[in-house]
Amino acid sequence: MITVSYTAILQLLLPEMILVVTALLVLAVDLPISRTAQTRTRFTIGAVISAIGCIGAIAQIVRVPQQANLFDGTLVIGPEIQLIQVAILALTVLIVAMAVGSSFTSHVGEYLAVALFATVGMMLLVSTVNILLIFLSLELLSLSLYVLAAFNKLSSHSAEAALKYFLFGGTSAAFLLFGLSLLYGLSNSTNLVQIAHAIKNQPLDPFLAVAMVMIVLGFGFKVAAVPFHFWAPDVYEGAPANSAALISSSAKVAGFIIFYQVMVIGFAGAEGSSDWGRYTAGWVPVVAVVAALSMVLGNLVAIAQTSVRRLLAYSAIAHAGYILLALVSHTEQSFVALLYYAITYAMTLIGAFGVISIVEEQAGGEKLSDFAGLSRRAPILSLCMLIFMLSLGGIPPLAGFFGKFLLFASTLSAGQHTLGLLWLVALAIAMSTVSLYYYLQVLKRIYIAEPASETGPIQVPIARQVVLCAIALSILLLGCAPNLFLTWLRQPIRIAHF
Amino acid sequence: MTWIVRNLWLIPALPLLAAALSALAHRRHRLFAASAAIGSMTLSLLLCLIAFAEVLRLVSQEHIARLPFNFDWFQVGSEWLKLGWVLDPLTAVMLVMVSFVGLLIFIYSVGYMAHDDNFTRFFCFLSLFAGAMLGLVIANSLLLLFICWEIVGLTSYLLIGFWYQKPSAASAAKKAFITTRIGDLAFLLGMVWLYSQAGTLLFYNYGAGCLEQAALMKLVTQTTSLGIAASTGIALLIFCGAIGKSGQVPLHVWLPDAMEGPTPVSALIHAATMVAAGVFLVARAYPLMAAHGGGLGLSLASAPALKVVTWVGAITAVFAASIAVAQDDIKRILAYSTVSQLGYMMLGLGVGGVAVGMFHLITHAFFKALLFMGAGSVIHGCHEEQSIRRMGGLRKLMPITFATYAVGMLALCGFPLLFSGFWSKDAILHAASTWGVSRTPFYLATLGVLLTAFYMTRQVLYVFFGESRRPEAHATSPHESPGIMTLPLVILAGCSVLLGLIGTPAWPWFSAFINGQHARFELRGFAESGVLTVMFSSTAVLLIGLGIGWLLYSNRLNAESASPDAFEQFSPSLFNLLRNGWFVDTFYGATFVRSAAWFSDACDWLDRWVFNGMIHLISRLTLGASRLSRSTDAFAVNRTFDQSCRGAALSGRLLSRLQRGRVQSYLQIIGIAFAGFVLFLIWGHHG
Repeated sequence: MITVSYTAILQLLLPEMILVVTALLVLAVDLPISRTAQTRTRFTIGAVISAIGCIGAIAQIVRVPQQANLFDGTLVIGPEIQLIQVAILALTVLIVAMAVGSSFTSHVGEYLAVALFATVGMMLLVSTVNILLIFLSLELLSLSLYVLAAFNKLSSHSAEAALKYFLFGGTSAAFLLFGLSLLYGLSNSTNLVQIAHAIKNQPLDPFLAVAMVMIVLGFGFKVAAVPFHFWAPDVYEGAPANSAALISSSAKVAGFIIFYQVMVIGFAGAEGSSDWGRYTAGWVPVVAVVAALSMVLGNLVAIAQTSVRRLLAYSAIAHAGYILLALVSHTEQSFVALLYYAITYAMTLIGAFGVISIVEEQAGGEKLSDFAGLSRRAPILSLCMLIFMLSLGGIPPLAGFFGKFLLFASTLSAGQHTLGLLWLVALAIAMSTVSLYYYLQVLKRIYIAEPASETGPIQVPIARQVVLCAIALSILLLGCAPNLFLTWLRQPIRIAHF
Repeated sequence: MTWIVRNLWLIPALPLLAAALSALAHRRHRLFAASAAIGSMTLSLLLCLIAFAEVLRLVSQEHIARLPFNFDWFQVGSEWLKLGWVLDPLTAVMLVMVSFVGLLIFIYSVGYMAHDDNFTRFFCFLSLFAGAMLGLVIANSLLLLFICWEIVGLTSYLLIGFWYQKPSAASAAKKAFITTRIGDLAFLLGMVWLYSQAGTLLFYNYGAGCLEQAALMKLVTQTTSLGIAASTGIALLIFCGAIGKSGQVPLHVWLPDAMEGPTPVSALIHAATMVAAGVFLVARAYPLMAAHGGGLGLSLASAPALKVVTWVGAITAVFAASIAVAQDDIKRILAYSTVSQLGYMMLGLGVGGVAVGMFHLITHAFFKALLFMGAGSVIHGCHEEQSIRRMGGLRKLMPITFATYAVGMLALCGFPLLFSGFWSKDAILHAASTWGVSRTPFYLATLGVLLTAFYMTRQVLYVFFGESRRPEAHATSPHESPGIMTLPLVILAGCSVLLGLIGTPAWPWFSAFINGQHARFELRGFAESGVLTVMFSSTAVLLIGLGIGWLLYSNRLNAESASPDAFEQFSPSLFNLLRNGWFVDTFYGATFVRSAAWFSDACDWLDRWVFNGMIHLISRLTLGASRLSRSTDAFAVNRTFDQSCRGAALSGRLLSRLQRGRVQSYLQIIGIAFAGFVLFLIWGHHG
């Protein structure tokens, strides 16, 4: 047994601890004022404290670069992981900032505390290669998310969505746990690296195949990929907008990263191939099929939606399909592309849900028809939505375009044979063309349709307006000058040799 | 290098600044525009005087009397294009003349244009003109000179057409612009040629300029395919520019028409300064003009370019004077007189050198500006009446104008001893009489003196003597002009008299100064061979001209304004010929203008039927192709696309049915998917 000093562990986990303390602090501060103050004020106070906590954690990470691998991969810290943690924390800051002035629940302290716990789950999730700890932190994250989805207790939709999410999540967690235990049985280790070592030179026996599919299923649920996506539209539609933003943004980022790590590290040597005409069994073809299905189904079904939240849910499924291309190609370049894409996508969705929440509050709904004539009622808000939608559609010079470009380019240049993955990329491009249709549908309502006659200008809370504009600006900036972000991403990843 | 040489650029910059400021000013800021123009001109005049004093100092201290200042403008390939300015006696004299006469005319304009709505614009243009003209004078680079040359051309165009509502003014402006442009084209060609041969357009650059020994030697020795030296060719092309600008035959036709502009403009631009720019250009490029195979300027008579200058000048002098004899418009008479006098200046440059031509330029600038402003005063006083036939008797009504006008008239005629015109014209005549090539120019110039005396007598008699012949319709009688207009007249009249003192044969200060030497006073100058002979003969000719004029017109002063002119009665056909300016305009109209119109018609026809036809053909073909592609699009591509879109939407609806909202069925699907994937992997592995 290796002896490790506990102070060292505490130091390594200081950012997570800052978050936990912040969560408790939010609870403690909210408790005495819960009877007297207005919900909006409580949300503002709580959100400010949470944001300060997250920023403190970011500061701690940035200030003290760590490099550690404790207990055989149970806790892994390195520059690349710290980078991902910073990104997750920054996204959380944006989400809590969007909660300023909300009033969807009276349990303000609990809501924000659970959101922070979810963040802690994400941070732990990305900083381990031990399958047990992966499962534990995934459950911490998932349970927090179930609770967050249910927070709007006045709405039956919210409860239904949360229940579906929970049932679905429970089932897939069972699959995942079964898969992981099979893996342990095959390799006699809980460390992904050692697992990979053990299964490397074996033929693909049925147990491994079953474990592999179960794990893909478990994570596929997490990232909402077809055919494990059914929870997503209901949850996106029913959950409070702020929870939906968290579920669809930072949780997704963490989910994709751990999916990538488990598959690429844990199943190194069992990749197989999904190159056109050169199929070899392995996890890559399974993921490729999942990706292709997600892209096709997500985009096509999104066309038929009349609710903007459901539309975004199906578009999220489609985007999951695109991002899974990074797993299919699994090179260093594609990991950079995955990070870039997932983070910018998460920012865009936080913005989009921010706009939706404002429209819901002011126009009473989030159907496409509720967005009619928004440009006349709230021009700045509409401009932000324009940027978000066009970025999701992949229109240059926005970040969404550059993310897609990076992703597709890295996929094309990967593959064991030249242009072996061209079929997948061609499908992705064709499907993103289809996706433009429904994004433009939203914009058509905003810019061309006439507003309902009795409506006046929309009052946009100033804090949310500022955050939305900042997000829109950074999407524009990241698209115009992607190197600002890319160099920052590439450096630690090159060091870590993923 | 002294302060003034380094900062010589300030002289043109100040009026340019004033022009820029008044261009920004609102129309009603009249006082601002006028004071900016006059103030900047006063400062420029002060700087010019400082520059003049500096040159005087240099000449008296036996220095080299020429200080160039050059700087890099921009790089062309490996070569730097240089611009610069130069201070020498020629520049100094011109600077003082232009800024002084300019200032007086600016002041005069305040009175003359007082009732005009576009007063501000007028002063903006005047300042722009003054800046460009002063820039032209100080230029030490043919390119810079050309740039300023074109700007003064532009302002001339703008000011002739200042009353552009009048069709005659607009067409006169156009005519002036196009006619001078013909000369400028040749000037530009000459400049390009010079640059290709000499490699520089700087006049003086401490031995490396294009007017200095080394470059001239090179130019002289190069012979073109026409058999003339490159220097001669270039000089002639540059002289073409001068012909256009200075209204020499055959490009003189624009200058009389230019009188459509306001009278101060005629005085400043079309009498005193701009038209003299051509003369100045020849003087500036004199080393090039005088260069020929036998050496550099050893004997003026043998330089081919100067021979051309001489002949053009002599012919212009007589030709224009003859036309002036039969004109009725007070300003047109003066305009032809200007053309004639410019011819004298060219003649002087050709036969006598820079000093002779320049002296006449300076004296002429003063007395011709005086005459024009006097004419302006008359026109102003007679309520915009310009025909001398309908004036008369103004001597008593406008005494100051009359007195000053008489001084100008005598100076122009060259009345002996007292008036500056006498001395400058006599220097030209004397030089012409000693010209080695031919004595014809001398005879022509003498004939010109006779004609000048005649037409000026006619004009003055018609305008100032006798009884008024104004139509009865005019209620108010003519009146003397305000002080702001008569004061410049008096000052100019004084100058017209006094300036003669600096160029007499006894004390040839001016020519000595131009050549950078000292002048000594000695009466022996008169004793030089031919001087007195020429003086007496020209005086005799002048008196004959005055006498004929007096005889013909003094007894007909009170005739009706519609009755025929005395000269017309004497010889109607000759009078008609002269009245129509030897039909040069008619000739140009019938030949050049007609052929240009024919050519433009031909081009129009070609454009309309041939090129347009081709374009229409191509456009029809393109349209046909686009129709074809549209129908392909509509029936083949679009239908397929629509169908696939419909398919996509349909499949979206079908697939969304999977989402029934029942968790049980979702979980069933997950189970099926799991089984499917596992089978897929295992089957795939074995297969």
